[in-house]
Amino acid sequence: MSVPDIFRQGIERGWQVIDASLQPDNSVFEADVIIIGSGAGGGTSAQIMAEAGLKVIVLEEGALKTSSDFKNDEAKAYAELYQEGSARATRDGGIGILQGRAVGGTTTVNWTSSFRTPEPTLQHWAEAHAVSGLDSASLAPWFAQMEERLGISPWAVPPNANNDVIRRGCEALDWHWAVIPRNVRGCWNLGYCGTGCPVNAKQSMLVTTLPAALERGAVLIYRARAERLQFNGDQISEVECRAMNQLQTLADGPRLRLRARHVVLAGGGINSPALLLRSKAPDPHQRLGKRTFLHPVNFTLAQFDQPINGFYGAPQSIYSDHFQWQQGALGPMGFKLEVPPMYPSITSALLGSHGQENFQRMRQLAHSNIMLALLRDGFDDASPGGSVVLRDDATPVLDYPLTDYLWEGARRAYLAMAEIQFAAGAREVFPVHVHGRASRTMADFRQQVEGLSYRIHDVRLASAHVMGGCAMGDDPQRAVVNSQGRHHQLENLTVLDGSLFPTSIGANPQLSIYGIVAKLATGLASELSRA
Amino acid sequence: MTSLAQTRLSRRELLKIGAGASLALTTVGLTATLSGCSSSRPSSDFEVLRDSDLPVLAALLPALVGAHPALTNQPQAITATLRQLDISLAHTSAAIQKDVHDLLGLLSLPLTRGPLTGIWGSWEQASPERLEAFLQRWRDSRLEMLRQGYKALSQLLLMAWYALPLSWETTGYPGPPQI
Repeated sequence: MSVPDIFRQGIERGWQVIDASLQPDNSVFEADVIIIGSGAGGGTSAQIMAEAGLKVIVLEEGALKTSSDFKNDEAKAYAELYQEGSARATRDGGIGILQGRAVGGTTTVNWTSSFRTPEPTLQHWAEAHAVSGLDSASLAPWFAQMEERLGISPWAVPPNANNDVIRRGCEALDWHWAVIPRNVRGCWNLGYCGTGCPVNAKQSMLVTTLPAALERGAVLIYRARAERLQFNGDQISEVECRAMNQLQTLADGPRLRLRARHVVLAGGGINSPALLLRSKAPDPHQRLGKRTFLHPVNFTLAQFDQPINGFYGAPQSIYSDHFQWQQGALGPMGFKLEVPPMYPSITSALLGSHGQENFQRMRQLAHSNIMLALLRDGFDDASPGGSVVLRDDATPVLDYPLTDYLWEGARRAYLAMAEIQFAAGAREVFPVHVHGRASRTMADFRQQVEGLSYRIHDVRLASAHVMGGCAMGDDPQRAVVNSQGRHHQLENLTVLDGSLFPTSIGANPQLSIYGIVAKLATGLASELSRA
Repeated sequence: MTSLAQTRLSRRELLKIGAGASLALTTVGLTATLSGCSSSRPSSDFEVLRDSDLPVLAALLPALVGAHPALTNQPQAITATLRQLDISLAHTSAAIQKDVHDLLGLLSLPLTRGPLTGIWGSWEQASPERLEAFLQRWRDSRLEMLRQGYKALSQLLLMAWYALPLSWETTGYPGPPQI
């Protein structure tokens, strides 16, 4: 059955979509607003700005891949659709980072989980980070608007068996669990959201806000890296770009110069602060790139007698917040419990060990469940997060020290996840750790976890949520931008993406970005339209 | 999840390895210089992997994957995996490609290979027991760099192997849905 590729159809109808690598060198583009990045923040901003009647250019470093390119092919997706070909990691290699690199940004490849920003997170921002105007009541209509826009509602189809482990385990333990809201319309329940939705059911930026902006005359320039901002006093006078090569590894193609009266920075965590660092933007209090957060994730593996087939079906549909706010926002690290999809390539790297042991575990793939804990970083003083720094070639890398506070959270998360898996009937549970082995009872698992080494590379850690680095807050000594996203020192720059967040979110962040950016971008659009 | 390789040799790490090995390590750069640019050139038909990297990876693949029938029975399987790995690496970044080259350089140069891996002859000749001993030594090392090397090698090769459809049947994975 052939699915219409709505993006390709739009291009045929005359959308202005430009491959930077095919432009003449030193091409100049002008607009009212340049939006750097086309993910959750950039896409949402683009529709709002274009509908306000502003002339918008959206700039994207990644390639343009649309539904007809998406083949449920893991290796192809990891290579083409993720930052650094999915090999992005923290500077010391301790945490692997999955982050999108494509038109639509991470929304093109995420697993669709959509949560409003938790109330305790917003309260903590107001109390500890001087964030104003972003309380639950003020944001509620914006979340509602974006939920409507993106078809976000709790998944109405029964969860696949991989997710159902959380429901069954938590039911047995009388722990909290709930159904995950997803941004889908007409979802086929295939389970390949992580490799790009082949049927345009996922309501990513690729099929929602970007088409809406393009219909209104916005211009999308893809395969172009914003290399440097030029300043004239406290104004950005030009965005210097360079086209990426075919493999997306180097910006060595034609140069592009973009000019506009306002610049919206929406490159996401790591890449947004990196552009400001490369440009030597004013940073009088050394806040740029600091407080970058990851929701570091650790995992447990469980094997069941019955089939799980976690490689099919909506990848995330059930979660538990039982351990998220037990002691409020501060104190020991809280965590949200979910599962990842069990595609074979990525799972092979999570099973641990090698040789016959790894092979025996792979042979149980269809009977296996992996659970993950999103560790909520950035709230307690013991969790300052990481700092974005530039490599010699001016590309960014995140320096994120692994602390005892984090290890303690990971240890508790191992125990919580195994309890759920055993309660759901798991035959054996393994901590995903270089020395993880099978435990058949919770008592044995507890003993195993207490004896593990908690040090870099031994505990397998990953992240799919990069947040912070251009923190917002009304105190210029502590924040890069104010509570409207306006840069504290540069007059015509607004940051509108996940890099705004002064802590992690404590939930998958996409709806936090949509809702907060919708509010801030609407304010900015009306100001720019008046001018 | 796919934290690949970022294996850097800090001065501190070099000192921790001990005098003999660190002497060997410092000669890596010298060796590379003496041999000119040839050692950094990709093998023909490859984008990233060099001639000297291929035998190392070919020897390590069965040690990491185990007795998978599709790997044991199909002579082309190893080459197909290395090609898959090469395509993936070609899409990473200059920084990550350099880290992978550094790691594989340590493993292929005789001066560093022996002291760091316990494989004193060629990779092609190394027995399964030797390869297993090497993997365990790096996995359990007190040196961060070697543990990271173990993680990188196992993730790179396992992910490349299990990206190939010929590896799936044994795992019970019927393949991705066809649209």
